[in-house]
Amino acid sequence: MSTLPFIDVVGAWLGIFLTFAILSFLYKDNPFYKFAEHLFVGVSIGYVITLQYQDTIEPSLIAHLSDQWWKIFPVALVAMMLIKAVSRRWAWLGRFPLAFAIALYAGLQINAVTQAELGAQIKFATRTLASPKIDLNQASPAELASVPGMTPAIAKELVAERTAKPFTSIDDALSRPSLSPMERADLGEKRGHLVGIDARASVGAGEQDWFGVVSNVLLLLGLLTSLLYFYFSVAHTGVIGRVSRVGVWVLMIGFGASFGFTVQGRIALAIGRAQDIMGRTIDPSDADRIQGPIAALVSVVIIVAGIVFWELRNRRNAGATPADTAK
Amino acid sequence: MSAPTPEHWTARLQRFDRRWLFLLMGLAIVVPLIFPLGLPIKPGAMTKAAFYAVENLKPGDVVLVSIDLDPAATPELEPYYRSVILQLKRKGVKLLVVTTWYQAPPLVERWIREAIEQPLAPPGTPDYDGLPDRAYKKNVDYVYLGFREGKAAFIANMGADLRKTFDGHAADGTPFDDIPMMQGIKQLKDLPLIVMVSGGAPGAKEYVQYVQTRYNLHMVAACTAVSITDLTPYVQTGQLEGLVGGLAAAAEYEALVGKKGSATAGADVLNIGYLVVILAIIAGNVIFFFGRAHARRRGIS
Repeated sequence: MSTLPFIDVVGAWLGIFLTFAILSFLYKDNPFYKFAEHLFVGVSIGYVITLQYQDTIEPSLIAHLSDQWWKIFPVALVAMMLIKAVSRRWAWLGRFPLAFAIALYAGLQINAVTQAELGAQIKFATRTLASPKIDLNQASPAELASVPGMTPAIAKELVAERTAKPFTSIDDALSRPSLSPMERADLGEKRGHLVGIDARASVGAGEQDWFGVVSNVLLLLGLLTSLLYFYFSVAHTGVIGRVSRVGVWVLMIGFGASFGFTVQGRIALAIGRAQDIMGRTIDPSDADRIQGPIAALVSVVIIVAGIVFWELRNRRNAGATPADTAK
Repeated sequence: MSAPTPEHWTARLQRFDRRWLFLLMGLAIVVPLIFPLGLPIKPGAMTKAAFYAVENLKPGDVVLVSIDLDPAATPELEPYYRSVILQLKRKGVKLLVVTTWYQAPPLVERWIREAIEQPLAPPGTPDYDGLPDRAYKKNVDYVYLGFREGKAAFIANMGADLRKTFDGHAADGTPFDDIPMMQGIKQLKDLPLIVMVSGGAPGAKEYVQYVQTRYNLHMVAACTAVSITDLTPYVQTGQLEGLVGGLAAAAEYEALVGKKGSATAGADVLNIGYLVVILAIIAGNVIFFFGRAHARRRGIS
């Protein structure tokens, strides 16, 4: 039996109605959409102000000033320095707190980006193009776990097996008795000479994963051509122009991937809302009490009827003469 | 007088009312939710790496869970949050929960009540054959650190001195010295793993930039789909040990943890939604190129 308070049921119905009111914009701009939009903006601002007070101003300012009230003076002074509109004559004072804030974050950001972006990414990009296969007889458990189809548990089993008797081939490694039939079946699915186990692992050192080598070469070419596109000290004509054109394609592929993921994100939002309306994200007894699909049906009927009435009124008004409208 | 030239089919379709597409997309979302297809889910390499980074933790380890999001990101990130919390709890890992977003505390506090203070998979949970989890107790099994203003500066401060950043006490005012699980934890590098549920900035990117590289921390992250291309380079360099990007990867994570949730149900819908988008793009291009070819044949520029 659901213990959901009645006010929460009303809230859920209101949420469902507002969802369809917002979606009604897909038909065209209309009073239901306008109402939901204005309500959303107003509630959002109120929510943000309340949270900022509760989470920032109260604990970080008021609580600190409660027993040391004199600290308000330097804080107020700095705040006043930032209000340039108070006096044009003293507006230059605002530069000092602004300079402090900008310098603080610039210092943090320069250091962080240099280390995490430039340093780490350049280190990764300048690695060797070689892509040696993982030797099943020598690799660490972590390296073994990176082979397709392998898990840390399988890696642990393989390490124990090779300690007892070194592997003579990949087939030998994957047929050892400590692997369960399910693990063996999973690994069997991951066999393959292009990107599978056979491509990434070997028994004995010195073999190359040629797909990995090609991937590394592509990565390097993509990096260099993209960088060249942003190199503006020479004219992008002739060979330079053609190579930088390849850089544009590489960037376009990147933007395409970003767009694909953005589509995924937007569909996920719609899925989340649909699941909420259908009561899939809450306790089943609460969902029974809310009856989301009925709320959705009622909302759609109200909105459709309202829009039909609104359209008819608009057409009637459009057909009326100015004199009629004045009456 | 000659008869007017009939309009080419591409010209007619160019005027196609796009609201039909919205309706089609709506149906593509609702119908698979009502009639699930049960398409197979195969975890990808980045998702598996994130899973095993958590799986390698030992009982009693303390990890930081940073929940940096607002309600708009919950459809994509809540499934991962529930899965990873179940995984952490059934391993007996203790949790430090924090947020860098001022909008997040009401949401985070609800998520703590629902997923940490209550078991997510008690014994007898249907369709779940993993280890059960238990209800965690505040300041015993988990500590809620709360929110502090400062964004990147706040993250950098946590890296340098966790205790000082929170004035030596948890969000409920309990001093860290009175909480046994906080013994020996002074800064982020004292933790074996940081789990980030990241809806944007500040989030996983800022953690990598401000503390991961500096202190060589172990981190996994979940992010919204739009952030995947931003964060994937960090996985390649090893700065992130794993990445769970968007709803599709959250469904993969649910499969790895062994408890299906809203992401698994959403994965079917994503596939059908993608199909609609792909078909719309193909159709749009076919109409455009055929229309252009027709116009060139007729000498219309």
